[in-house]
Amino acid sequence: MATDLRISNISKIYPGCIANDNVSLQFKSGKIYALLGENGAGKSTLVKILSGVISPDNGEVLLNEKNLKLSSPLDAKKNKIGMVFQHFNLFETLSVFENLSIDATEDNKSLRLRINEILKKYNFSIDLDVPVLNLSAGQKQKVEIIRCLLRSPKVLIMDEPTSVLTEQETEELFISLKKFCDEGILIIYITHKLKEVLSLCDEVAVMRKGKVVSVSQTQNERVETLANKMVGQKLAKIKKKINISKNKDEIFKVKHLNFYSDDPFETNLVNLNFSVKKGECLGIAGISGNGQNELFQILSGEIITPDTSIIFRNKEIAKLNPKQRREYLMAFSPEDRISQAAVPELKIYENVALNNFKSSNFFEKGLVNEKKIKEHSKKILSDFSVNTDNVELKSQFLSGGNLQKLILGRELITAPELLICYNPTWGLDVGAINYIHETLIKINDQEKSTILISTDTEELLKLSDRIAVIYKGKLSKIMPSEEVTPEKLGVLMGGGSID
Amino acid sequence: MIKIEKRNDVPMALYFFTPFIAIILTILGGGIIFYILGFNPIEALKFYFITPISNLYGLSELLLKATPLCLIAIGLSFCFKSNNWNIGAEGQLTFGAIVGGGVALLFYNQEGFYILPLVILAGAIGGMIFALIPAILKTYFNTNEILVSLMLVYVSKLLLDYLVVGPWSNPEGFNFPETRQFSDSSRMPLLFEGLRIHAGIFLALAAVMLSWFILYKTYLGFQIKVSGLSLKTAKYAGFKGKTMILVVFMISGACAGLAGVGEITGPIGQLHRMVSPDYGFTAIIVAFLGRLNPFGIIFASLVVALTYLGAETAQIFLQIPKYTGQVFQGMILFFLLASDYLLFFKVKILNLKKNELRN
Repeated sequence: MATDLRISNISKIYPGCIANDNVSLQFKSGKIYALLGENGAGKSTLVKILSGVISPDNGEVLLNEKNLKLSSPLDAKKNKIGMVFQHFNLFETLSVFENLSIDATEDNKSLRLRINEILKKYNFSIDLDVPVLNLSAGQKQKVEIIRCLLRSPKVLIMDEPTSVLTEQETEELFISLKKFCDEGILIIYITHKLKEVLSLCDEVAVMRKGKVVSVSQTQNERVETLANKMVGQKLAKIKKKINISKNKDEIFKVKHLNFYSDDPFETNLVNLNFSVKKGECLGIAGISGNGQNELFQILSGEIITPDTSIIFRNKEIAKLNPKQRREYLMAFSPEDRISQAAVPELKIYENVALNNFKSSNFFEKGLVNEKKIKEHSKKILSDFSVNTDNVELKSQFLSGGNLQKLILGRELITAPELLICYNPTWGLDVGAINYIHETLIKINDQEKSTILISTDTEELLKLSDRIAVIYKGKLSKIMPSEEVTPEKLGVLMGGGSID
Repeated sequence: MIKIEKRNDVPMALYFFTPFIAIILTILGGGIIFYILGFNPIEALKFYFITPISNLYGLSELLLKATPLCLIAIGLSFCFKSNNWNIGAEGQLTFGAIVGGGVALLFYNQEGFYILPLVILAGAIGGMIFALIPAILKTYFNTNEILVSLMLVYVSKLLLDYLVVGPWSNPEGFNFPETRQFSDSSRMPLLFEGLRIHAGIFLALAAVMLSWFILYKTYLGFQIKVSGLSLKTAKYAGFKGKTMILVVFMISGACAGLAGVGEITGPIGQLHRMVSPDYGFTAIIVAFLGRLNPFGIIFASLVVALTYLGAETAQIFLQIPKYTGQVFQGMILFFLLASDYLLFFKVKILNLKKNELRN
């Protein structure tokens, strides 16, 4: 039976922001629809309305001409609307089967039978009796999808499903989604990745500032046209000049980096060796959870490992803490910008003071020099075009993009020789990503080096001069980025080998 | 179904106002308890909260009891602000009293202006050393400071017991469990003739000023603040975490030790088993009621000191045990935590019919 989902005149207003402004869209089964937009464009709000998490101020949702009253996620389930969120809602220590049986209505035997049917039909290979904790992100996502399929959904909504997947897993996901679509399930695919829209979807709706700005067939679109619709202005395309000069000095050299942990949630690192040249960007790719966290903390000095040698500007720094490493002109931008790189409850200028040097004179003879810190903060806010000039503002009121600009600004204003950053653009919108990317390229142009640990392959290919992949705590060989393709990276990130 | 959500922005003014709400609720709660016990609640509350401070002597007693509470709470605020849960101030107080008292006993038959400062210094150092034990165990052996600091309370109390019945007991004391009286040179000067309030209050006030300065104007204070809000950030910024733990415990222990020495050189004048009516534990309530803010702590210590006095008056006039004081202190903490919870979280009641959950 054909499914027809209609959203008509939906509005949702939050204090100080219109999240959805009179949104009307129509979806029919047999096609895959993309909902495209920057962060804060109103996609998530719309999805939350469709899945019953929040209710709209105005407007209605119609499924096959029937007006749906979606006041809780249960209503959405009852009406056969399935959701797979970006962050998985699974119990890590329970087995796959236990996770699936939690909200099932049938007995275990027939449930297992039905699950096995689904596994067979879509060629999923998942062991039902292992704890979810042992699964890869792609497998976890499949568990979530199976959970939806068990309820024979009419509509399946996927929220940024590929952000945690490898290239291969993404391809597999696309094949499954196309299969679901052929079977008559209406698929709504939410993303900000343009290429995925073009390769997967039939129709695309672009949202900007709470409004639907365009609905079109994807065959009539190109990456550039979609990007311009999404951002609303002509985007300057940035591409880094690869730094070819091979005989530059090595500024940073890591030898015998090993890390062992008893904590099952930490990854052991096995004999990492690499070096970074002056003016170079070394990219470290990998799916999250393969040791990037531990690597970043060792490079920044938050974790000190015995027997590791880290030479920076001809000095051994392996035993120094982050503050001492900063004195040698290193800078760090961690992944967790919200609660590690900054403290949300602190004011902007206090967050700036976290990165203090002897020469910055923020604390003279142990006393706080508030005036100096504030002056310095003002300079960062204007130099790095942060969207405020109020240094007394608590940093929790900054958007993700502005917070990241503040953090990068704080780290860079001291002109460090090496910046180590970890997923500097996760969760940011295109405008902010562009700004951060331009900034990172500028650093290399000024003959300063960067180490970019990232789970975003596109970003790595754009910014790195050389790339290595980290998988289960081991580093692949380091490759010049012109020899690297997304496919190659995908293979290595999934634990395969090339050549 | 009930859903709990975090509130994002809690106004500062409301944050400092909720302790007052907690106090009002405590008084109401106390009234209800008195009513159930068969007393006229208005009258009982008057005996509890007004009578004790309606004369000069009462006021002096209030300040006398507030002094150690304030001192200890100031010290604790350093620990609590930086996420170090030192709950053994009572032990640090006792150990401070032992060391300070020991020095005072050395000079029991001597006079001299230098004796009192020596005794006070010894008390502070004693508390500091005793607080260092949980701190060192935490930093180098990863032990839990809550357990260690709490258990050490009993160690120091038993040590004091042993000393006052054994080696330090007064040779002319008919085997009472107490030491000799300290000489006058080891006693805190009294501020007014006939009242017990002594110079120790200046130590408390100095601690308030000094702690305000350290917490808000120095690099150490900044590090304490950041560590308290996010240990991850403190690590990332490269603060010396271990050193800081040791420092805050030392500050806290020194304050508790000062409070102990203030008691034995002030109102008590010797060492015996009961140097403190659990000031070290009650000060935890004071610290939180004062929002870990130095000036808030002054106010909170006065309020909590009043529950001690009120309990004594109520015992005399209403024949109820003085342990009602602890009931009131407990209620203050309870209502404070409850109103804090409502301040930081909102409770939403979702409309779900019964069978919907099962579906």
